[in-house]
Amino acid sequence: MDLLEERAKKKPMRIVLPEGEEDRIIRASVKAAAEGLAKPILLGDEDAINKRMRDSGLSLRNIKILNPEYSPKMNEYIEKYLEIRRGKRVSEAMAKRILRRPLYYGAMMVRMGDADGMVAGAVSITASVIRASLLLIGLQRDITVPSSFFIMETKNERIGEDGTLIFADAAVNPDPTPEQLADIAIASARSARALLGWTPRVAMLSFSTKGSAAHSLVDKVKEATKIARLKAPDVAIDGELQADAALLPSVAEKKIKGDVGPVAGRANILIFPDLDAGNIAYKLVQHVCGAGAYGPILQGFKKPVSDLSRGAKAEEIVGVITIVNILAQGF
Amino acid sequence: MAEDVETRSKRIIAEQFGINPEDLTYDTHLVRDLLMESLDRIELIAAFEEEFDLEIPEEEAEQNVTVGQVIEYIKKKISSKEST
Repeated sequence: MDLLEERAKKKPMRIVLPEGEEDRIIRASVKAAAEGLAKPILLGDEDAINKRMRDSGLSLRNIKILNPEYSPKMNEYIEKYLEIRRGKRVSEAMAKRILRRPLYYGAMMVRMGDADGMVAGAVSITASVIRASLLLIGLQRDITVPSSFFIMETKNERIGEDGTLIFADAAVNPDPTPEQLADIAIASARSARALLGWTPRVAMLSFSTKGSAAHSLVDKVKEATKIARLKAPDVAIDGELQADAALLPSVAEKKIKGDVGPVAGRANILIFPDLDAGNIAYKLVQHVCGAGAYGPILQGFKKPVSDLSRGAKAEEIVGVITIVNILAQGF
Repeated sequence: MAEDVETRSKRIIAEQFGINPEDLTYDTHLVRDLLMESLDRIELIAAFEEEFDLEIPEEEAEQNVTVGQVIEYIKKKISSKEST
């Protein structure tokens, strides 16, 4: 995380936080601004936010507060909304009702280039954060589903990237199709490159290694691997692999006949076949192995945006702001 | 005579999905029957807010999956608004 903070500080970006009246968001923004990790923009009522700040003895330096209700850009945003949803039954009044919601206003700011990234979800449910982002920011051209990743910092320096791994998807897609699984792999490779500067080595995980078991669940991962390789020929992607064959060179050499390739035994990105596997895996690694888990960070969108867990503490929110800030530097 | 909440609600839903209000019953499912997509939901919420001058949080709306549930929800919202 220290390394990430150093990278974020190089170029603090404008990160909009739609839940600007929430105490944890205010505290996180104050810290992020004070340490130069981002230039936060809080959405909400100015008086309410100022009062919260004063009550907690916090200073507003380098934080912008904006109330969508009185925004001079509202008309421009409404026009854009109607343009995006042309052909749908949306009136101007409806568009205004939607954009008065901070989550949608924030997403529109990112869309219009008035903010560089968005962090939300301390109050809103994940479905709402994803909906606002899909609607107004949209997905990257070749990506068909939003997904999420976790950065897992383990103490075992011999695996992944000096002990650090990316897990995906551990929070969004319950049962991805092979096409969706391929897109999750590709989006994760992009995230790893942009955020951590890694050369991605993506393992498509299964309970089978290269045909050691036959089952429709294995076929799904094989198919996803094929699609991902076709769509992203410049990324090292291999599958299907068991977790040990993905992470440990000795096991990879034992289980794979012939050339082991650049991924097996050295993977730094693990793609789980479904949300059961991904979510359970990240929680086990976090709690059984005492690994640091940072996320879920959303991915696949045209601009960086992230969800927060609704129970997120201010320090965790600072971490997500830092990550979104770095991602925004590269967009 | 002014339209009642049920008629108005059905009209709004029918307008959003481009169908005839008479085809809607209490059991009509927004997603399964009307093929509502996630992105359509916020616009349906906005249409109801506009018609009834209400504030409808997304998390609350998320619970309503049939036309009947929407109508009952709106009735409840209106009565709690009138009592405040």
